[in-house]
Amino acid sequence: MKTLLRRILWRLVAGLGVLWGAATLTFVVINVTGGDPALAILGGAEAVPTPAVLARVRQDYHLDKPLYQQYLIYVAKLARGDLGESYRLRIPVARAIAQQLGSTVELGLWAGSTAVFVSVLLAIFTARRARWLRSASSGTELVASSIPGFVLGITFLLLFSFQLHWLPASGQHGWKTMVLPILTLAIPLIAVLTQVLRHQLDEILEQPFITTARARGMSETGVRFRHALRHALIPLVTLSGFIFASLFGGAVITETLFARQGVGRLMVDATSNKDVPLVLGITMLAAAIYVVVNLAVDVINTFIDPRVKTA
Amino acid sequence: MKARGPQIGALFSALLLAGCAPSEKVETTVRSTVSSATIDPILAYPASDYQEAASGRDGGTLRISTPIDNGTLDLNLLADTSTKWIGRLIFDNLVYLDHEGNVTPWLATSWTVSPDGKTYVFTLRQGVTFSDGTPFDAEAVRANLARIRDPATHARMTTAYIAPYVDGTVIDRFTFQANLREPYSAFLNVLAQSWFGLVSPKAIRENPKGLADRPIGTGPFIVESYTRQQGITFIKRPDYAWPPPYMHRRQGPAYLDRIEVEFVPEALLRYTALVSGQADLITEAPPQNAASIRADPRLVFSSRVNLGNPVRNPTFNVTQPPFDDGRIRQAVARAIDREAIAQLIGFGEYRVKADFLSANTRYYDPAFRDVLRYDPVAANRLLDEAGWTGHDAAGYRMKDGRRLSAEILAVESATPSAANVALQSDLKKIGFELRIVQLPQGQITDRRAANQYQLLGGGYWHTNTPDGLFIVYHGEQVSPRYSGQNSSRLQDPQLDDLLTRARHATDPAVLRDLYSQAQRRLTVLVPAVPLYENHTMIAYRRHVHGVVHDTSHNTPFLACAWLAEEDRS
Repeated sequence: MKTLLRRILWRLVAGLGVLWGAATLTFVVINVTGGDPALAILGGAEAVPTPAVLARVRQDYHLDKPLYQQYLIYVAKLARGDLGESYRLRIPVARAIAQQLGSTVELGLWAGSTAVFVSVLLAIFTARRARWLRSASSGTELVASSIPGFVLGITFLLLFSFQLHWLPASGQHGWKTMVLPILTLAIPLIAVLTQVLRHQLDEILEQPFITTARARGMSETGVRFRHALRHALIPLVTLSGFIFASLFGGAVITETLFARQGVGRLMVDATSNKDVPLVLGITMLAAAIYVVVNLAVDVINTFIDPRVKTA
Repeated sequence: MKARGPQIGALFSALLLAGCAPSEKVETTVRSTVSSATIDPILAYPASDYQEAASGRDGGTLRISTPIDNGTLDLNLLADTSTKWIGRLIFDNLVYLDHEGNVTPWLATSWTVSPDGKTYVFTLRQGVTFSDGTPFDAEAVRANLARIRDPATHARMTTAYIAPYVDGTVIDRFTFQANLREPYSAFLNVLAQSWFGLVSPKAIRENPKGLADRPIGTGPFIVESYTRQQGITFIKRPDYAWPPPYMHRRQGPAYLDRIEVEFVPEALLRYTALVSGQADLITEAPPQNAASIRADPRLVFSSRVNLGNPVRNPTFNVTQPPFDDGRIRQAVARAIDREAIAQLIGFGEYRVKADFLSANTRYYDPAFRDVLRYDPVAANRLLDEAGWTGHDAAGYRMKDGRRLSAEILAVESATPSAANVALQSDLKKIGFELRIVQLPQGQITDRRAANQYQLLGGGYWHTNTPDGLFIVYHGEQVSPRYSGQNSSRLQDPQLDDLLTRARHATDPAVLRDLYSQAQRRLTVLVPAVPLYENHTMIAYRRHVHGVVHDTSHNTPFLACAWLAEEDRS
């Protein structure tokens, strides 16, 4: 138990390092891509800020200071948990994100759980089956995992909203407006997860303990669900980080396309308007979740697979 | 679905939008024209466009689908075009224009201007209250203008618009005096613009940041809720009784009980929402769907030209070769087939334009509208005269061993804009090589500030006065590290003198003459190539009535709008 605690502590320290790294990298990237932030704050193309207003903005946002000082101010505020104020929305970044987070989490949970559920079923029913079934399945997966999200989304819109009129195209009005965004997010994920799970099941189904189970007269379905599945789930837990990244990345396109509110759409907006504090804030949130997810995966794996403990 | 063709067009634009680029920029470049053969020289919309014809019916909820959420409802701080009609729901202004551009009363019932043009005295309407209960009075006006002038407010545009304003004097409770540094003929026009909507002085004093979420005005609607990236809900203010007398028959509340606005960035989805009845009205109606909307008996398509300056592309940097030679600028302007570009981008919905002021802006002079018309023969002749007579193997013109060539800076996207590609092919025909350079917006801004560019891509400037020419072409509007709108870097003493004198003049005959001379001068100087008018397009279902237009912005003014029973059959 002591070693586990030490591991967690160590991972937390490393996690802080990752957060600091993410903050620094984003700061550098934003500042090397050019563009006067004061002009970005004052609206870019559709604006005529007076020189006096420009000067005042530079002063208020510390943009008149050397870059290293801006960095130190930024990190110091970050350390106090202060993400600053959005240039464009003129409200605290934390509040701006909080307003959008619920919608993204809701969509992500639905899409993530749909993806896991469907891919587990698909993998179980196609692992070590007839060659044609496997080929058909993995062929479909390859195509599905390669389609860009926005192509998939637009195809769904054209088919289910504009042609068949089954589902509304946009907005957030109950479950009907959730279906297409969930499918758009889940389908590429299903394709990848099924491939990984099936590969894992293929190996497990050749293990001696499976042969033993079969020899005890257990049905094939029973063998797959009761014995093989448990082992196949380990890579799924390890893949949590990937699943999270896929959902978060997908949200950027899905939310914009289907006119849903959410952190992904906020990110698109913040990036195209060069809203530096907001971009930094969302990046920090994503990095923080990533760190927490990986920490949790590590701990869970220790319990599922005791071998990890000593590794 | 009625129209298959336009829908596929919309699909591709949706693909592009999803795949790339800041959507705002795409909207700006995707603007286009109507055949010039059908254009009246001066464009005048009838008064019925702007005045309520008959009283409406009370009640109902209007559902609007609109593309852009600006992230804040503190509109005094913004410059964005998408906020114009939203401001009219929440706020009122001191004055309003009529359809000819004359200033008419609103919260100021009358005013006088001193002979030197530097002192304005407004008599204010009594009995007006802000939605937080604060009475509207002279102190409220003073607090509003002071806030806009204060650099600490970080206003993007409004500060510049009232730059000559020094301070205000509260003469008595309902008499306000504005003191200007110099005469400024556009002052009243500017005060009529939606970005100058008056907010509660109590809110300014106690919680100015709160205005971003809960703007407090004297307008016909109150913001009930604002969810960023999602929508805004407005509810009627039942005790409202002071709409612009010019516009509204009833000096009373709005007809609609509620307005529900939803932010939908994709044009295709807004169009679909309208057709399916999920929305009653859409703003930024896509031109590619205009034909099918017009053909649909349940729908109304409405397009109005914006006041101010038309869409231009490209803008020349007149300080850098080869565009320091005016003949080259004229040649380029005459080599561009505006009709073709307008058709390509605007699906026949835009009016082509070869001069520098929108055809419905006051003091527009149509006399010079054909000076820069499409004429490749004239363009070639101009280039010959400028000495670019040689030709290289690729067919481009040469002079002193150099190719006639320039680069245009465009905002980075997956594919170059259709307009730029069309420019490229038009210019190739006169032996001019146009190279399209795609950069992130930030780098373009930097290069613009550092004077490291030859050509810039599309732009327009909307304002409700010909003083827009001052903002875009006056030499004062060029300065290092300042995002003045004069990106051509034109500093012509003669033009500057005309535009400055126009700012100082008050006599309409003098103004007409000065602006006419300025427009003529611009067709000689050619700091940019005007392509087509800047259009505002909306569409709505037939049961929406009383959609009058705003005399300043030509956007819908919804205080008069009302709903009839909709026949959904």
